[in-house]
Amino acid sequence: MNPLRKQRLYALIAILLGSILATFLVTSALSENMNLFYSPTEIKNAEISEDILIRAGGMVKEGSINRDINTLEVTFTVTDYQNELEISYIGILPDLFAENAGVVVRGRLNKDGSFDALEVLAKHDENYMPPEIANLLSEEE
Amino acid sequence: MIPEVGHLALIAHLVLCFFAGIIPLFGIYFRNQALYFSCKRISLLLFSLVSLSFLCLVYSFLIDDFSVAYVAQNSNLNLPFYFKFAATWGAHEGSLILWIFAMNAWLLGFIYLTKSDDESFSLVTFSIACQVMFAFSLFTLFTSNPFERILPIPPINGADLNPSLQDIAFTVHPPLLYFGYSGLLIPFAIAVSAMIFQKETKEWAASARPWALLSCSFLTLGIALGSWWAYYELGWGGWWFWDPVENAAFVPWLLSVALFHSLITSQTKGLFGKWSVLLSIFAFATSLLGTFLVRSGILTSVHAFALDPERGLFILGILAFFIIGSLGIYSLRDFSKPTTEKYEVTSKEFGFLLNNLLLVILAVAILFGTIFPLIYEAITDGRQISVGAPYFEAILFPFAILLGILQGFALYLSWGSTKSFTFLQRILIESVSIFTLLIIFIYVVFSSFNFSSFITIFLSVWIAMGTLQITQRFKSNYWEFLRRRAAVIFAHVGMAILVLGVAVVSNYSIEREIILEKGDSYLLEDKQITFNSMEDKLGPNYVSKLAKITFMDQSSDHEVITEKRTYFPSGQPTTEAGISSNVVRDLYISLGDNLQTDIWSFKVQIKPFIRWIWFGSIMIALGTLIAGIKQIRRS
Repeated sequence: MNPLRKQRLYALIAILLGSILATFLVTSALSENMNLFYSPTEIKNAEISEDILIRAGGMVKEGSINRDINTLEVTFTVTDYQNELEISYIGILPDLFAENAGVVVRGRLNKDGSFDALEVLAKHDENYMPPEIANLLSEEE
Repeated sequence: MIPEVGHLALIAHLVLCFFAGIIPLFGIYFRNQALYFSCKRISLLLFSLVSLSFLCLVYSFLIDDFSVAYVAQNSNLNLPFYFKFAATWGAHEGSLILWIFAMNAWLLGFIYLTKSDDESFSLVTFSIACQVMFAFSLFTLFTSNPFERILPIPPINGADLNPSLQDIAFTVHPPLLYFGYSGLLIPFAIAVSAMIFQKETKEWAASARPWALLSCSFLTLGIALGSWWAYYELGWGGWWFWDPVENAAFVPWLLSVALFHSLITSQTKGLFGKWSVLLSIFAFATSLLGTFLVRSGILTSVHAFALDPERGLFILGILAFFIIGSLGIYSLRDFSKPTTEKYEVTSKEFGFLLNNLLLVILAVAILFGTIFPLIYEAITDGRQISVGAPYFEAILFPFAILLGILQGFALYLSWGSTKSFTFLQRILIESVSIFTLLIIFIYVVFSSFNFSSFITIFLSVWIAMGTLQITQRFKSNYWEFLRRRAAVIFAHVGMAILVLGVAVVSNYSIEREIILEKGDSYLLEDKQITFNSMEDKLGPNYVSKLAKITFMDQSSDHEVITEKRTYFPSGQPTTEAGISSNVVRDLYISLGDNLQTDIWSFKVQIKPFIRWIWFGSIMIALGTLIAGIKQIRRS
C-alpha cells in the first residue's frame, strides 16, 4: 500500500474507534444518568416507578419543616401552589434551605406518595429560584 | 463624572476597534499601502482606553458611588476595601470589562513580543482580533453597560456582594480564568489570518503556539483556583461538581491542550495544518460558548448570575458570526498542497494524532452532556432533565485511562517512526513491578481495594515513570537537559500528581454527618473529634456562630474553627468550613444546624491527597507557562 494511504487508513481507524467508543459511552451513560424533573402536580398525575431516580421541586411550605433532634432526619413539604409533596431526608440541609424558598431534591418516590431525598439543593442567593420552579410559577400567572 | 469618563473610554475603544478591524482588510484587498498602519501604536492606545475604563469602574467601587447601578447592586459600605476592588468583576457587567481588558493585554503582548517579517500578516491578525473586541465592546455597551446611573436619587447603600464571593481566592480566580479564555483569541486570529494569506503551516503554527500554551496555563490556574475556592468556601468539601459552568471552562481547557499539542506537529513537521486551524477556531468558539451558557441563564448553575435572554441572544449572534465567518474562509481556502511528510503508527505524529483525537472526542462528549438538557427540553416540549455527575464520570474515566496510557510512553516516540523501543521495554518491565508493588501498597494502606482506584493510581505512576525516565537520555549535561525539557517534565509530572490526587480522594474519602453536644467527642477512624465551645463573633459585615473543634490522633492534636455566618444586609447565611491539612490528607469539618441548646450537627470529612490535585494543576500551569515563554523568546 502507498505509505500516504496507509497513514490515512490508520488515522481513520483511530477516529472510527474513538467515535464508536464515545457514542457507546454517551448513550449508555445518558440513559442511566438522566434525571427527569417533576413538579408536585406532575407527580400526582403521572405514574412513576419507585426504582428510578427523579428530581422534584417547588417552594418549601411555611411551617412544614420538621426536624428530629436526635437523628438528623428532616421532613418538609414542597408546593407548587396547586399540589404538595411530602419529602423526607436524612442529613444536613444546605445553608440556603428555608421556608418559602425554592428547592430541588433528587431521590425516589415511595408507594405512599412521599419522597425520599438523597440530595437537597437550594443554591445561590436569596432571590434564586430553580428555573423549573420559576417556570411553574410563571405558567400559573 | 468619573463613571462618564469610563463610559466614554469604552465608547472610544469600540469606535477604534471598529476602524482597526476593517481598514487593514481594505488596505490589503486594494493593495493600498496608505491604509496600512502601525499595530503597535493602535494596540497601545486600545489598551490604554480599556484600562482607563476599567480603572474608572474600580474607582467607582472604591469610593462607594452608588449612583452607578452596577456598584449599587454589587457593593456595600460595610464591605472591606479589597473586596470592593474585587467586586468590580463580581457580576456580569464588570467581568465583561475585565474580559475586554484581558483581550487587549494579550493582543498587546502579541504585537510587541513577536517579531514578524510579514507585516501584512500581523496587521490582519491584529484587525481580526479587533473585530472580536469590537463585538464584545458593542455587547457590553448595549446590553450590559456597567456605567449606567441611578439618577436622580441614588440609593444610600448598596445591595452587597454575594457573600460566597467575599473571599481571597475569588479575587484572583475570575481574572485568571478570563485571561485563559481570552488568550485563545490570539491563536484564533492567527489561524484565520493564516488562511487568508495561505500561510505555510509551519510558519503560522510557530506564531500561534506560544499563545495557545499561555492560554492553557491561565485556564489551568483559573480552573484549579475555582476548584479550591469551591472546596473550602461552599462548605461541602467537594472540589468538582460538573456544574455547567465548570464544564464550560473544562471544554476549552481540553481543546487548548489538544491545540498546543497539534501545533507542535504543525510547527515541526508541517502536518495537521487544517486540523490546527479548526482547533484554533473551536477552542475560541467554546470559550465564547461558555460565556453564552453562563450569561444567558439557560442552564441551571451556581454561576448563572445574569438571567437575561437578550444577552444570551447577543452572544449567540457574536458566536455565530465568528464561527460561520471563519469556517466560510476555511471552506474557500485551497488546501490542496500535498503533505510530503510520512509517518508510521509508531511515530510521534501518530501519538499526537491519538492525543488530539481522544481530547477532542472527550471535549465533545462533555459539551454534549452539558447542553443535552436544552436539547431534550426542545424536543420533548418542555420536559426538564438534569444530567448529573455520574454521566460525566462515566465518560471521563475510559478516556482518561486511554490518555494516561498514551501519555506514559508518548515521550519515547520519535518523529517519522520509532526505531528503538528499549526505553519502552524498560517502562513495561518497570510498570509490571510497580503494578505488583501497588497492589500490596494499596491493600496495606487503605485496606480496601477496587478496580477504579487501582487503575488510576497505576496510571499516575505510569505517567510519572514515563516522564521521568527521559532524564536518563541526558546523562552528560543535566543543566542543558533541564533547560530543554523542564517544561514538558513539569507539565507531565504535574498531570501524574493530579491523577493521583483525584484517584485517592475519590476512592478513599470518609464522610460522616454527626450530632454533637458541647463537650462531647466522636471517634472517626483513629481520630477523636471534640466539640469544645461555641461563640458569637462579629465580623466587618457579618455575624457568626463559631464552633471550636479539636482533632486528636495518636501523635498530635489541632484545633479548627468552623462558622455559620450571616451576612448583612442580605441576610444570606454561609458555612465556613474548618480545615486542617497536611501533605497526605485534609480534615474537613463544617458546622450544620442547631438542633437544641448546645447541640449541633456537623459534617466531618477526611480527604486524603486532596492537595495533590491543586499542586499537580500548578505544576501543569507552570510547565505550560515555561513552554510558552520559551516559544515567545525563540520567535
